Amino acid sequence: MARAARRAAEAAITLALVTLVVFALASTLPAGDDEDEHERALPPPYRAAVRAQFHLDDPWHVRYVRWLGDLSRGDLGISLREKRPVAAILRERLPVSLALNALALAAIVLVALPLGIAGAWRPASRSDRALGLATTALYAVPVFWAALLLQWVFAVRLRWLPLFGFAGAAHLVLPVVCLTYGGLAYVSRFVRTSLVEGTTGEGGRVARARGVGPVRFLLFHGLPQSAIPLLTLAGFLVPRLVGGALLVEEIFGIPGLGSLMFQSVLARDLPVVLALTLLSGAVTLAAMTGADLVAAWVDPRSRRVA
Amino acid sequence: MWRDLSVLRTGVILCALVALAAVLAPWLPVDPNRVDLARVLEPPSLAHWMGTDGLGRDVLARLAYGARVSLTVGVGTAAIALLIGLPLGALAGYRGGWWDATVSRAVEAVLCFPALLLALALLSIAPGWLRPLPEALRLALALGLVAWTPTARYLRAEFRRLRGSEAVHAARAAGAGGWRIAVRHLLPQGVAPVLVTMAFGAAAASLAEASLSFIGVGVSPPTASWGQMLYEALRHMGQAWWLAAFPGAALFVTVYGFNRLAEGIRDWLDPRPLLR
Repeated sequence: MARAARRAAEAAITLALVTLVVFALASTLPAGDDEDEHERALPPPYRAAVRAQFHLDDPWHVRYVRWLGDLSRGDLGISLREKRPVAAILRERLPVSLALNALALAAIVLVALPLGIAGAWRPASRSDRALGLATTALYAVPVFWAALLLQWVFAVRLRWLPLFGFAGAAHLVLPVVCLTYGGLAYVSRFVRTSLVEGTTGEGGRVARARGVGPVRFLLFHGLPQSAIPLLTLAGFLVPRLVGGALLVEEIFGIPGLGSLMFQSVLARDLPVVLALTLLSGAVTLAAMTGADLVAAWVDPRSRRVA
Repeated sequence: MWRDLSVLRTGVILCALVALAAVLAPWLPVDPNRVDLARVLEPPSLAHWMGTDGLGRDVLARLAYGARVSLTVGVGTAAIALLIGLPLGALAGYRGGWWDATVSRAVEAVLCFPALLLALALLSIAPGWLRPLPEALRLALALGLVAWTPTARYLRAEFRRLRGSEAVHAARAAGAGGWRIAVRHLLPQGVAPVLVTMAFGAAAASLAEASLSFIGVGVSPPTASWGQMLYEALRHMGQAWWLAAFPGAALFVTVYGFNRLAEGIRDWLDPRPLLR
């Protein structure tokens, strides 16, 4: 428990530093960069009044302390681009991103796990090499290219699936496919390697000598052995998905967090960028820390290392 | 010992192919930016081997110039990531303590951001004195500032492991100082796997450049970039297959080539054939 508390404290410090850096970097932008054309067209006194109301011209460290204070009261501020509370925007977009990413994560695991096991079945055999070749080739296919191809085939030509936008489960099929295929190489190779490592040791040889069949052997001797590498992998996969959805969301017109972050960075919408940084940072650190803690719980040996 | 070099060979050949295109680009008889509105959207022919785009520009010439951008960003990013990640990771692993805590927090901090968006944000706040640099180099710089974490993490773990090894004790007993041990005894052991991470990093960076250019925030027109060519192909989807097919294939060859190169080096170094 003490360990968990220490990791949580470290994560909080990291997040505080990250947001501080965002503030410091944003302060180097040219003045007025955070305004749109309507605001620039305002008569100077009005413009100054708006800027004063939102404290836009205070020194950045003053604004940071104020932001931290607001945050402690659960107030994420108001979006400069959409002129409404950041929390309301997140409430709309978060469920969409969650659905998309959860489905993609599930799809990656469901497809990559059997592929990895198939590869570990006979390591270095022809089928194992073919699997490695095929998944690496898939990784090299740019996601936006695949997205366009899939759109053209399934939405324009065959008209089986919707082309664009978000209004139900059918709209998520192609985006999930796009988010899935690239991760297969990494995850299935990882599963395979840890399985082979787990089964080629002495424990594996003893089990084989005792007459354990190949299927039972891989599933009940190999998989538990590779549980820890797989856990750390899951810790890394989550943050990848958070950012990886950006292109897919933009191409398929899905109102998720990836495209929100993209548009907010372009528009210098600092409150939204900060909220999303906090969110993605918290998710990332929680996934990494969680994987560490579970690994320590599953395998006492790894406690000493960290 | 017998070693299968076919993966490494594939990687080297594909990367050499792209490099050749990049080097030969200026010698092509066609200007990649010459607009010819009389020859718009022509399919591949003897005059234009890969056809022409929506402005009548030669796709092959643009593809070759795109290779320069892709390789500059790929290799440049990997080099910058190495320059940052190697010293930081080595220090964190070798010195431990305060160094380790600082570097580990920094790695975590970078991982908090989605990588592409962090690079984009860094690009938009680039200080003025970087403006004279070619765009591809600025992109490589931004991506490199994001991509150093795997190298640092790897070297940290490696130096940590080797710090207590007998070889290091022996070197210390022989009177070698801390620097000498780190540079002469530890670094050579970590170099080869770092090459592998560099090649993987180059693949990822080429993809990232294409992605950024595709959404319009990478290399700006008229400079040819594969990502941007693919974006322009969008307008002619279904009527000019060559506009999407060739840049897509070029990008595929580059990313696949770098990945195979990385895997090839790794296999070549790893004596355990089953674990490949």
